[in-house]
Amino acid sequence: MTTVLAICVTVIVTVSVYLMLSRELKSIAMGVFLLGHGANLSIIAMSGSPVLPGGGLRQPPILGDGILVDALPQALILTAIVINFAVMGFFLTLLVLTARNTGTLNLDELALEDPPVASPELEPTVDGGPGGGVGR
Amino acid sequence: MRNDLLGLLVVIPLATAVASVALVRRSRPQRVLGLLSLGSMLVLAVGWLSEIRDGDVLVSQMGAWPAPFGITLVFDSLSGLLLCTGLVVALGCYVHSFSVLEPETERRYFHPLVQLLMVGVNQCFLTGDLFNLFVGFEIMLMASYGLLAIGASRRQMAQAYKYLVLNLIASTVFVISAGLVYGMFGTLNLADLARIVDARVASGEGLPPGFVGVSVMLLFVFGAKGAFFPLWFWLPDTYPTCPVPVAALFSGLLTKVGVYAVARTFPLVFAVGDARDVVTPLLLVSAGITMFLGVLGAVSQHSVRRILAVHVISQVGYMVFGIALMTTAGLAGALYYMVQHMVVKSSLFLCCGVMERHAGSDDLDRLGGLLKRDRFLGIAFFVAAMSLVGLPPLSGFFGKLVLVREGWTDHWWLSVVALLTGALTLVSMLKIWTRGFWLAPVVAAEPAPAAGSGDLRGAYIGIGFLVAVAVLMGLAAEPIYDIAFHAGEQLTDPSAYIGAVDPRGLAAVPGGGG
Repeated sequence: MTTVLAICVTVIVTVSVYLMLSRELKSIAMGVFLLGHGANLSIIAMSGSPVLPGGGLRQPPILGDGILVDALPQALILTAIVINFAVMGFFLTLLVLTARNTGTLNLDELALEDPPVASPELEPTVDGGPGGGVGR
Repeated sequence: MRNDLLGLLVVIPLATAVASVALVRRSRPQRVLGLLSLGSMLVLAVGWLSEIRDGDVLVSQMGAWPAPFGITLVFDSLSGLLLCTGLVVALGCYVHSFSVLEPETERRYFHPLVQLLMVGVNQCFLTGDLFNLFVGFEIMLMASYGLLAIGASRRQMAQAYKYLVLNLIASTVFVISAGLVYGMFGTLNLADLARIVDARVASGEGLPPGFVGVSVMLLFVFGAKGAFFPLWFWLPDTYPTCPVPVAALFSGLLTKVGVYAVARTFPLVFAVGDARDVVTPLLLVSAGITMFLGVLGAVSQHSVRRILAVHVISQVGYMVFGIALMTTAGLAGALYYMVQHMVVKSSLFLCCGVMERHAGSDDLDRLGGLLKRDRFLGIAFFVAAMSLVGLPPLSGFFGKLVLVREGWTDHWWLSVVALLTGALTLVSMLKIWTRGFWLAPVVAAEPAPAAGSGDLRGAYIGIGFLVAVAVLMGLAAEPIYDIAFHAGEQLTDPSAYIGAVDPRGLAAVPGGGG
C-alpha cells in the first residue's frame, strides 16, 4: 500500500512541478492545487499499516473484530482539504478578476503592462469584494 | 497553571469577523465592533501577561481532552509577549485606517479581514501543536491574501500572485512535514514531541533517519513566511502595493509569525541532537546574509515605502541571529528585538502613509520640507527611525546590545555584521529624514488628491499611540526584558513548558506507524 501511495505522490508532484513552471497563471494554479493533493496522499501513508510494530493487529475501538489503520492522519487531511478548497476558491476568484481587468493570464504579458514610472496612487479596478478571502 | 479562557483570544476576533460581515455596508458599527474586539483582547492578554511575570505557563486544553490528544493552547512568556505586542500593533494600525482608508476599500470587507488576520495570528502564537500552527498560518494567510487584493490596482494584482503561490507552496511543504513528523513520533503536540525527542537523544537511541530532513523542510517553510535569505523575494514587491494601514499591519505581524514559529519549534524539537549541527549553521549564515543584504537593498531604494519594506528583511536577520545562538540570552534578545521592531516598524509605515498624503508621492525627490508642514509627523518619524537604528535610550538599542554581546564570544563575525548593518540602517533612515523632512523637494510637489475623509485625526492617534509604546519600551526596557528572559529560559530548558502542558508526563508513547 505504501509503495503504491509513494508512486502516486511522485507522479502527482512531478506533474504539479511541471505545471508550476509554466508562464500561464491557469497552469500555475492547477499545479498548486495538484501539489496539495500530493501532500494529502503522503499524509495518508502515515496512517501506516494495520500491523503494529510488535506483530499484533490494531483493533477498532468499538466494533471489536477486524483491523484498523491509524485514523488521525485522515482527520488531519480533512482539515487540509477544507483549507485547500478555500484557497482554491480564492485563487480562482483572483484569476477571474485578473482576466477581466487585464484580458490576459500570461505572466509575461502582465509584466509588460507595468507602466515605466508608476504613480503610487491606487487605482482600484477590482469590482466587488474578494469573496474567497472571507471563507476558510 | 490552568486557564480555560485562552480560547477567547481566538473566539473574540472570529465572532467579530462574522458580525462585521453582516454589517459590511455600514462602516461606523464595524469600526466600533473592531475596536471593542481588539481592545478587549489587549486587556485580556496584558492581564494574563502580568499573571505570568515570574515565568509561569498558562495552559488551556480544548474540550478538556488531556494534552497529547486534544488541542492545547499555551500562553507562556514567549507567546504572551508577542500576543500583546501584536494586539498593540493591530490597534494602532486599525485606528490609523479610519482616516486614511478609502471608503470603497473599506467596504470590500476590510474589517472582517483584519479580524480574521488576528484569528490566525493569535492562534499561531497560542497553539501548542504543529498541525494547529499550520491551521493558524492558513487562516492568517487567507486573510492576508484578501487584504492584499482589496486595494490592488491592475498592475498590483500581478504582484499578489508571487506572494500567493510562494505561500501556497510553503504551506504544502508544511503539511507534508507535519505528516512526516506524525509518522515518526505518533504525535504532533509540541510538548509531547519535545519529550520524546529528548528521551531518545538521552537514551542514545537516536532520532529517526528522516528527522534532519524534516527539520530543514520546516526551516524552509518558516523561512519563506518570515522572509529569511534566500526566500525573501516576495516581500519587497508585496508590501508597497497594499494600502498603508495594511502594509503596516503586515510588516508588524506576518513575517514575525514566521520568526516566532522558528523560535518556538526549533529550540524545543527540531534543533535537537543531529539536527542542531545542520540547522544552526544554516540559521547563522542566513541571519548574516539577511541582515546585510537587506540593509544594502534598503539603502539603494529611492522611495520611502520600498526602503521600509526592504528594511523589514534586514531586521528579520537580527531576530534569526538571536535564535540561531540557541542560548538563553540570545533568544531573549531576539524576542525583545522582535517586540520593539513590530511596534517601531508599523509606526514608520504609518508615518510613510501620512507623508505620501502630504506630498502626493513617496518618491524621495518629490518629498521635502515636511518638517515645516507637519511637525508632529516629523518628531514621530524621527523617534521611530532612531529607535529602529538603535540609539540609546530608545528601545532598539537594548535589543541590539543584548544580541551583539551574546554573539560576540562564539560568532564575533556575525556581531560585526550586525554592527555594520546598524550603521547602514542609520544611513537609510537619515536619507528619508533629510530628503523628506529637512530639504526642499527636488521636484515641485503638487498637492495630494484628497482620499477618504480629509480628517487625519485617526491617523495621528494611531501613529502617536505606537510611537509612545515604542518610547515606553525603551524607558521600561527592564520589565519587558525580564519577560523575554523568562521566555529564553523556557525555550532552552523546556521542562516547565512540557510540565505545564502535560503534567501527567505519559511515560509510554503510542508507537509511530509507517
